[in-house]
Amino acid sequence: MRRNTVKTMIAKLALAAAVIGAGLQAASAETANIWVRADGSNFMPRIVDAFNKAHKDQIKLDIIPNAEIIPKYGAAAAGGTAPDALSLDLIYTPSFAAAGQLEDITDWAKSLPYFASLSPAHVKTGTYKGRIYGLPFSADSSVLIWNKKLFKQAGLDPEKGPTNWAEIEADAEKVNALGGDIKGFYFSGNCGGCNIFTFTPLIWASGGDILSEDGSKATLDSPQLRGAVDLYRSMVKKGLVPEGAQTDTGSNFFAAFAGGKIGISPSGAFAIGALNTQYPDIDYGITFLPGKDGGWSSFAGGDNFVVTKGTKKIEVVKEFLDFAYSLEGQTILAKYGSLPVRGDIAKEALKDLDPRYQVAAEAMAKGRTPYTVVFNDLINSANGPWTQMVNEVFFGDDVDGAISNAQETMQSIIDQAPQK
Amino acid sequence: MTSVAVATSAPARARKLVGAGRRQWVGLIYVAPAVALVTVFFVIPLGMTAWMSLHNWPLMGEHAFIGLDNYFAILRDTRFWNALKFTAYYTVIVTIAIFAVAFPLAIFIERPRPLTNLYRTAFFMPAVVGFASASLLWSWLLNVDSGLFSPAAFDLGLTGKKVNLLATFQPAFWSIIAMVVWKVAGFTMIILMTGLQSIPQDLQEAAVIDGAGPFARFRAITLPLMRRTLALALILSVAGSILAFDQFYIILRGGPRNQTLTAVYWIFNQSFVSFKLGYGAALSMVLLVILVALSLIQLWLLRKPEGLD
Repeated sequence: MRRNTVKTMIAKLALAAAVIGAGLQAASAETANIWVRADGSNFMPRIVDAFNKAHKDQIKLDIIPNAEIIPKYGAAAAGGTAPDALSLDLIYTPSFAAAGQLEDITDWAKSLPYFASLSPAHVKTGTYKGRIYGLPFSADSSVLIWNKKLFKQAGLDPEKGPTNWAEIEADAEKVNALGGDIKGFYFSGNCGGCNIFTFTPLIWASGGDILSEDGSKATLDSPQLRGAVDLYRSMVKKGLVPEGAQTDTGSNFFAAFAGGKIGISPSGAFAIGALNTQYPDIDYGITFLPGKDGGWSSFAGGDNFVVTKGTKKIEVVKEFLDFAYSLEGQTILAKYGSLPVRGDIAKEALKDLDPRYQVAAEAMAKGRTPYTVVFNDLINSANGPWTQMVNEVFFGDDVDGAISNAQETMQSIIDQAPQK
Repeated sequence: MTSVAVATSAPARARKLVGAGRRQWVGLIYVAPAVALVTVFFVIPLGMTAWMSLHNWPLMGEHAFIGLDNYFAILRDTRFWNALKFTAYYTVIVTIAIFAVAFPLAIFIERPRPLTNLYRTAFFMPAVVGFASASLLWSWLLNVDSGLFSPAAFDLGLTGKKVNLLATFQPAFWSIIAMVVWKVAGFTMIILMTGLQSIPQDLQEAAVIDGAGPFARFRAITLPLMRRTLALALILSVAGSILAFDQFYIILRGGPRNQTLTAVYWIFNQSFVSFKLGYGAALSMVLLVILVALSLIQLWLLRKPEGLD
């Protein structure tokens, strides 16, 4: 009885929403609705405009705040008003696929002639139980940026960025010695997302990892992680890092370096476009995030393009994605802040742009992404084990305790995750 | 039915009853909008929450009935009980702090004196700011690099370097207490002031003639006669504190190191970070029961003693 009431209510809500939705879309039957998170608000409208101008079928784009896109999509899906497709932070693809929310696009994906050159990290996270549910759309790699002006003032070679951990610390120390408000190094010390993006590559480049390949085991307790922690702790102890880093939940992730008072900071490819357009006075260099004794690695971030299960507009969606993968589409993406996701034409798409993009694109090609259906719980959540651990190990007194505590919590979250 | 039966035996009385019945219907129509509002925005959501709490209800995908499993899981959820413990600690501290500030303020502004209206307005002002906006304001004030308190203390030479107030538990916790007192004390003050003003002046005068000092008057006259006002202020304060969320979410993100996770924060995390809506609903039901029980206890403690008018 009660079950029926609930069902009728949901059905009525869905009907109401559908009526509203139909009213908006009545103009053209061949209009697909797409959502993107606010991170894509620069390039997404451009590529949608270009598509709409050249095609009879149309795309209607909605931009959703980063933190709200997942709950909003969940609510919309429950009410039957989900968009036809979604540009989704790639780390969420496994959990969305596991929830049975996405359309299986394996056959279509494999029929694309350039399928093999699509960003491997994206395709890996887009694959669940051997089927493909998401394809790469936008990309962001993690890199190290340094302030050339401050390097010069500190007597360092402004054209040469650090290539291993010892050099990072030595360079940061020299810049820090300039004194005043100038600090050597910056990272967001209370932000899980920022540190999975920029801190884990230090571990990867040294041969360690934080999760096993299939995401079934947490592997935090490694000498590589310990070593990278020691690097950050040492810099904090020497006062090379501003006080605010300890409580920065990510709001200062980019802004700190953009202020022009920080020598070195791990950051992302997005910073190139943002610095060039918003802070043209900052003279900066881009290099890879190095390992302890050289080598390098990168986090492969960005969005996967996923299709809502059962949508009737799948042909329009495919047409749009095909356009995004064309040289024209890839060039638009590159020009407005995303790296190209097609390896075979990346160089061509980037050829007229800032040469520093080439470093970021190279980092992307070899970038890695941890694979897990509980990424949000483990890593991104402000109260999850990863965020708590990075804050404790960088600033606290009990490094071993923090690591083993996080290891235990992460493993128990993985073990309790729904197995379908 | 009854009215028909009555009507055959005593027609005169029946007409009266029919009139009363009609008046009742008219009354029902008058309250109908309120009943509808309460039903739509309280009873139905509450029923749905109870219903969802019996399910494994993810944000996306199919939900399944699992009986009381969510409630059994709560028993083992140490992080929820820790959050509840912290919430209790916070509630006790903040309630004492609010009353410690609001009571003197209420006494201060109760009687007319020069500039009373100005003081009343000034003390009450923060109460009209939303909790979220107040939190944002304070999160800026408390920022170590670009805020007010730390840089000011450093520039005045009070501290050797800029102290990050939000980095360790004690300063972070007391910063929140200060912010909440600043925000809420004005409102509690107004409630207490109305209580003070309702105490007849002659009682105080009679006590003065009998030679009672100010402290004795406060203890024997003011406090007992303010029971109801105190109960109201206390319940509002306790309920508000147990449901605390905004300030810890916006200023501290539950930090430093998850030491300031409140119960509602944990419910929010389970529902919208881990996407376990069913479990979040079960946690909400548990919190509801706790809140109702606490309010009943408070009402009972502050009930009117027998024999007092």
